[in-house]
Amino acid sequence: MSHSNAYIVGFAGAVCIICSIFVAGSAVALKDRQEANKVLDRQKNVLAVAGKLPDNATPDAVAQAFETNIRARVVDLQSGEYVEDVDPATFDQRSMRDDPATSHAAPAGNAAKVLRLPNEGLIYQVVDGDKVEMVILPVEGKGLWSTLYGFVALDDDMNTIQGLTFYEHAETPGLGGEVDNPRWKALWVGREVFDKSGEPAIEVIKGQAGPADSDPHRVDGLSGATLTSRGVSALMQFWMGDDGWGPYIDRMQKGGA
Amino acid sequence: MRWLRDLLDKQAPMFEKGGKLEKLHPVWEAQDTILFTPGFVTKAGAHIRDALDQKRMMITVVVALGPAMLMAMYNTGYQAHKAIAAGASPVGDWHDAIYTALGMGYDPQNILACFLYGALFFLPVYAVTMAVGGIIEVVFAVIRHDPVTEGFLVTGALFPLILPPLIPLWQVALGIAFAVILGKEVFGGVGYNIFNPALTGRAFLFFAYPAQISGDKVWIAAKGLSADGVSGATALAHASEGGLGQLTSHGFDWMHAFLGLVPGSMGETSALAALLGAGILLLTRVASWQTMVGVTLGTVLMASTLNGIGSETNAFFDVPFWWHMVLGGWAFGMVFMATDPVSSAYTAKGKLLYGLGIGILVVLIRVVNPAYPEGMMLAILFMNMFAPLADHFVLQGNIRRRAKRRVA
Amino acid sequence: MVMQTKDLKVLTDPLFENNPIALQVLGVCSALAVTTKMETAIVMSIALTVVTAFSNMAVSLIRNKVPSSIRIITQLVIIASLVIITDQILKAFLFDISKQLSVFVGLIITNCIVMGRAEGFAMQNPPGRSFLDGIGNGLGYSVVLLSVASIRELFGSGSLFGITLLKPVTEGGWYTPNGLMVLAPGAFFIIGLGIWALRTWKPEQVEED
Repeated sequence: MSHSNAYIVGFAGAVCIICSIFVAGSAVALKDRQEANKVLDRQKNVLAVAGKLPDNATPDAVAQAFETNIRARVVDLQSGEYVEDVDPATFDQRSMRDDPATSHAAPAGNAAKVLRLPNEGLIYQVVDGDKVEMVILPVEGKGLWSTLYGFVALDDDMNTIQGLTFYEHAETPGLGGEVDNPRWKALWVGREVFDKSGEPAIEVIKGQAGPADSDPHRVDGLSGATLTSRGVSALMQFWMGDDGWGPYIDRMQKGGA
Repeated sequence: MRWLRDLLDKQAPMFEKGGKLEKLHPVWEAQDTILFTPGFVTKAGAHIRDALDQKRMMITVVVALGPAMLMAMYNTGYQAHKAIAAGASPVGDWHDAIYTALGMGYDPQNILACFLYGALFFLPVYAVTMAVGGIIEVVFAVIRHDPVTEGFLVTGALFPLILPPLIPLWQVALGIAFAVILGKEVFGGVGYNIFNPALTGRAFLFFAYPAQISGDKVWIAAKGLSADGVSGATALAHASEGGLGQLTSHGFDWMHAFLGLVPGSMGETSALAALLGAGILLLTRVASWQTMVGVTLGTVLMASTLNGIGSETNAFFDVPFWWHMVLGGWAFGMVFMATDPVSSAYTAKGKLLYGLGIGILVVLIRVVNPAYPEGMMLAILFMNMFAPLADHFVLQGNIRRRAKRRVA
Repeated sequence: MVMQTKDLKVLTDPLFENNPIALQVLGVCSALAVTTKMETAIVMSIALTVVTAFSNMAVSLIRNKVPSSIRIITQLVIIASLVIITDQILKAFLFDISKQLSVFVGLIITNCIVMGRAEGFAMQNPPGRSFLDGIGNGLGYSVVLLSVASIRELFGSGSLFGITLLKPVTEGGWYTPNGLMVLAPGAFFIIGLGIWALRTWKPEQVEED
């Protein structure tokens, strides 16, 4: 059965139009819901690291808890000052990092293998009324196979760790993937980031560390995952240091808000 | 011996065609032929007769494994006692219950004590391997009406030697089951397998239960190992982390590693024992010298290349080839695993190529890959896959050469 | 209306007699990737079944109109559209799972089962039966996916549907999870053993040498 060229072109056109109507229709109709999901997912991660995630994490409960407990702020990485003219709700740190106009190169050869740094970053504060109880800082760095993306929650002394979570990574399940293990994450709580001289000293060691009050700067290694453990050490030290959130942490420790 | 022959002959009718236990014929056949030379003779066609049949060959390999087995038991005990003397504590389970019941103490200087303690760890692993693997072997032989072959004696002897002393026995059972079923039977049984079964079993355990077969805690049969005291890490792990510097700072010297007085999988630590085995295998011409030469050449080549390139961040680049040869399972793997006639190449030149590939890969995996310090297992398995390709090239080369000669 | 036996056969044949994964060895890639957990495997199975069924139906509806010179690309456009819509729906209603499935929903486009059925069955059969064939093949895929996933999740993580059945040592239990099950090669072994078992059961499926 042979068709005229006009028929073939017409047929192809018709199929394309019908398909695109369906695709576009579904994309438009579902967009709001998808956006809401993305926001909800981020809110959940932030609440989880702060330990404020409600037990029954229905979307409403999560949004409610986020609304009352969390305040998002945009911070200039190098000065440590808040940036007030950017809306945190629409701020996307990752696309900022990838855009050469809004980012700068990280120091070459840093142990966390971070290549570019955004000029401004999005942080969260756990607030009780106007009082800042906790600060949640995003961190990222290379493990063994993948880049780990996570949040660190610091107490209002900007030194004691209240929580750590990685919400995105592709480490070996069962070995490096154990960064997700709640037991391991619980080991971080109560440890201190900085030593007496004010340098970031927190590190994941090989083997077991002591309890938090006598051995505050060291955390148990993930057994069988030396390189993931090293990666976590490196990214913590990088982001708590001068190239990362250091200036902001300094400013907060000196009594800023 | 007469009575034994009579006994077997008396049972024979039961297992032959039409007999009551016809289905179990392979079982009877196995015990019969292991004790006596088979009674049947070649009936048709031209055959080359050789005193060396498969059975004698496999038994030669088992004999060649003798030094490695003895060393496995001694060193397992020696490492444990040394660690205990340096502050670690005994594992404190049934091993120690039996040991202390025998009235023995933990003394690294006492050769007999070390040997006995090591045997308490090695023999159960060996027994489980033989029992579980043997049963599976017989079941498959019965289902397939094949004779039980001696190939398993070798697999069964190799497998416990490449396991750490603290391996849980249920994992041994699982590992050997995987080795026999998926390493061998799935391909059709003895002689058809692509991969070395013992290594297949180890690879399974390595990926399935990494906590029990990698890291620093499993290589010495003692508890309470820590980075500050007796670290328990293998020499290879130290080299991988800090190169030669870290090896010497942790008290490893080349001679100790060569003799095998270092932590590691039970039978693989001693390059000397492997060399003694190599002597037996080469004298009896059971193993091929081409494969061993290939592996050695490849290692020398790759290690020297990496020495030349050098690296600021990875001190393992500077480790010379003579260290590579005494670290980890290099010697043991080369002598007993790479030369496995079924999974290696068949042609002489093919074996050289295949060995060369193993030698190059083992150094590459050890030095460059961040996740798996032990490259020997992965290098051999990888080259097992390419052995037919090596043969193919050799054959094609032959055909081309001959074709050319004919034209001329 | 009583279903004709022929229609019923179209529906049930792909389960064991002519299974797309086990006999035809199609669509294995996603079977490796999404079977670490039952949750993802079920969603993936449903997504693929729906896409195959509807693409079969759509292709069958236009089978007598489509110029043969552009039939493959037309099928592809239809399948791609259906996959995008499925992906959008998952992102909107099952966000967590769609995050875990990541690109693999999108990769249904390249899943040989969908294309194979559209070209191999729907082009010659009426819409109703094509739809059933799509469901049948989707179910055949699902049977394999779900059995692989149940084995992998149970032995790899000690749980089913996220409910812990064998308490892992890392959480204070007795069970040592099998790490190989969580890695992609684990699925290879399970599928391979499954094919072995199936062909021992139905020797007629063994290919001739």
